[in-house]
Amino acid sequence: MVRIKPTRELSLAVLLAALIIFLSLTTNFNTVSGIYSFLLAASPTIVAAIALAMVIFTGNIDISAGTISGFVAFTTGYLFRAGVPMLLAALAGIVVGVALAGLNGLISVKFRVPSIVVTLAMTMVHIGAYATFLPGSGWVENLGPGFTWFGRGRLLGVIPYAFVVAMLVAVAMMWVAKYTRFGRSLYAVGGNAQAAVYSGINPDRTVIKVFFLEGALLGISAVMRATTRSEIMPSVFIGRELFFIAAALVGGVSIFGGVGKLSGVVLGSALVYLLTVTMIYLGFQDYYQFALQGTIILLAVFISSGDFSRLKRFLRPGTVGGTQ
Amino acid sequence: MENNTIMNITGVHKYFPGVHALSDVSLDLQRDEVHAVCGENGAGKSTLMKIIAGVYRPDDGLITLEGQPFVVHEPNEAYRKGIAIIYQESSLFPDMTVLENIFIGHEIRKPVLRGLRSPQMIDYRAMREKANAVFNRLGISVDLDRTVRTIGVATKQMIEIAKALSFDSRILILDEPTAALANREVDALFKTIRSLKSEGVSMLYISHRLDEIFEIADRVTVLRDGKHVATERVAATDRNQLVSWMVGRSLDNLYPKEDVEIGEVIFEAQSVSLRGVLEDISFNARRGEIVGISGLAGSGRTELALSLCGLVPPDSGTIKLNGKAVRIHSYREALEHGIAYVSEDRQVYGLVLPMTLKVNITHKAIRQITNLFSVINRGKEEQIAAEYMHRLAIKAPDSEFVVNKLSGGNQQKVSVAKSLAVEPEVLIVDEPTRGVDVGAKSELHRIISELAKSGKAIIMISSDLPEIIGMCDRTIVLKRGRKMGELLRNEMNQEQILHMAL
Ligand SMILES: Nc1ncnc2c1ncn2[C@@H]1O[C@H](COP(=O)(O)OP(=O)(O)OP(=O)(O)O)[C@@H](O)[C@H]1O
Ligand SMILES: [Mg+2]
Repeated sequence: MVRIKPTRELSLAVLLAALIIFLSLTTNFNTVSGIYSFLLAASPTIVAAIALAMVIFTGNIDISAGTISGFVAFTTGYLFRAGVPMLLAALAGIVVGVALAGLNGLISVKFRVPSIVVTLAMTMVHIGAYATFLPGSGWVENLGPGFTWFGRGRLLGVIPYAFVVAMLVAVAMMWVAKYTRFGRSLYAVGGNAQAAVYSGINPDRTVIKVFFLEGALLGISAVMRATTRSEIMPSVFIGRELFFIAAALVGGVSIFGGVGKLSGVVLGSALVYLLTVTMIYLGFQDYYQFALQGTIILLAVFISSGDFSRLKRFLRPGTVGGTQ
Repeated sequence: MENNTIMNITGVHKYFPGVHALSDVSLDLQRDEVHAVCGENGAGKSTLMKIIAGVYRPDDGLITLEGQPFVVHEPNEAYRKGIAIIYQESSLFPDMTVLENIFIGHEIRKPVLRGLRSPQMIDYRAMREKANAVFNRLGISVDLDRTVRTIGVATKQMIEIAKALSFDSRILILDEPTAALANREVDALFKTIRSLKSEGVSMLYISHRLDEIFEIADRVTVLRDGKHVATERVAATDRNQLVSWMVGRSLDNLYPKEDVEIGEVIFEAQSVSLRGVLEDISFNARRGEIVGISGLAGSGRTELALSLCGLVPPDSGTIKLNGKAVRIHSYREALEHGIAYVSEDRQVYGLVLPMTLKVNITHKAIRQITNLFSVINRGKEEQIAAEYMHRLAIKAPDSEFVVNKLSGGNQQKVSVAKSLAVEPEVLIVDEPTRGVDVGAKSELHRIISELAKSGKAIIMISSDLPEIIGMCDRTIVLKRGRKMGELLRNEMNQEQILHMAL
């Protein structure tokens, strides 16, 4: 039973295709190196946006996703420098991600503090910790090819290993969201917490679990990004959460919880990344880039929602509003 | 007798801050029995059910299930012990499909791989089959892939019922399952209840519609102010007895309609149409008149009300007030013209649940309590809130009480009070007495009558035909979005209305 409905995923895909065509016509995007670098750059965002989306499904958020990624990258790089085998170092990094994100969830649930407050505060704590506790503010360099083989490696010359992993993660998480009780309960908790309790779901447990899962995915994402370069500076991850959250929202996730699809999030991440690439090709400076990107994200959320009735109502004055 | 008892509740107490909701309540539930629980709004019925369902824990007392102490800490555990419940308030997820809603929290699963310790995955096909079987049993067909947000109240209620039935429980609790249902759906539900009973399921049944209790229940327990008043076999009691147990006095008239001088036409709808929903509907209402709108669920009753008060502006048609055409494109404009609407769905549209009684009651009447600079006059706010709490006998410790902690019937009263507080010229009420107890119902009817007597016009939508017949001077009957005709007070009877509506 396959029916094509004018869904958000469809409008996102169309938008994405339009952008790719535009880029291939006007730039050298449509080359092996163009595609490779796009996939490489988009992969960590895809995984992290999925992580964030699952947290947002429950009506929560993790503002500290960026700074947590910084810790993961640092841990992995630092241990590798100290002689720990790459795989173990990466695993240790992921464990740090799980611990930090899990801590956010635990604090939020146990002390009944909204996750936006907990994670906002945590972001500041993390930034402070970078400077205070990490040796050399977390700066690790000269990691070499033993470190970057994963991040820079490619299949068949075009497909980055990172992208393969990102797709595996995406498929696995889509499965979790659709075919497990845990996945369904994410939507339930965010959709109507009271009704979730009435349906036999324990919202607290669900939220704690999703934060731990988010940490693991953030860990994978951060290792992907870190291993593309030979040096690590945790502070470059500050602010990354904006992209993760934006990608999830562009992908159709409702910031109020309970609504969204991970397939949309994958497309959303690709779109947000493609916008960045477009900016670079079009030669915009960094600071213009941010402002333009913000504007375009707003537009993307709006267009991809496929809901123009609001616009119509907005243009026809006198019919907006009216609460009972 | 003794070993036929499936659940025994003895001496249960429940305290909420400022409220002693249950005080020394005892009740025994027999195997394959339908046990009705009655009482005024706020008597503690829902609280008792939520204790059995694991939402609340009793502060004192003992519950046994098949002789074993029954202690549950969350609804999950109660479900596993074979107790399913249809809550009075909606427990559906608006953004999920019907299928997802029915099985959320207890999805049917199958192993991913054949193997003993294989992880489990949700089996959508099995859930579909089971959902269809349950709806078949209820005698309705529902699109399982439809999002619940787009579904009307009556069907939503049937989904709640289907959700509870999907549990295969030993004990089924139904907390006002019929408040939003029309006769036909009630009949289907009763048929299901009877067949469940013959399969050995025990049921606790709450309703303010006393006729239902005599039709479906074996025994009835009455609560008043959190205390047990009586338990009796239904066959050994009657309506008056039941009412006097509930209210503590006897009640003479459920429909205190006053004789009123009918004045000139104040409200007129001309050829109101809404694409795909309403077609060319015209009617008017005069001062002093109560005009009914009847029709089956889905006939466009609520949509008509929504388009008359600007919430869903009609595609075409004119609305006239005192003979002058007016433009009503939003609810705010309707309020400015003196038209107020009481929604049929108090939880979603009627109330701001996490806010206080005071704020809710004065919400629409905000203009009356603010000064030139939009600053709220606290004294006036309190005064209006107190007035309506008193007039509608809203049971709450004070006006600072949060609305979602009120009992269902008391929430309904607040929802009506909100519209009364704006002192409208034209009041449109949609199922105004849904979930309200007999005493309060009579009281609400009296208030509506008095409002009409003071020269206002009332438009009343109700699926409760006796209410339409008892209260209205005239009723229009809708069928599939069209007006089938009008009946005057002396022409109205159940057969005639149904004949036109079907
Ligand atoms: N969570 C809560 N916190 C505080 N008070 C509560 C809470 N839940 C219920 N109450 C109070 O307990 C009393 C009993 O409420 P309950 O909902 O059991 O009444 P009910 O008999 O079901 O009434 P109705 O017929 O209106 O549904 C009411 O006074 C109500 O305000
Ligand atoms: Mg109740």
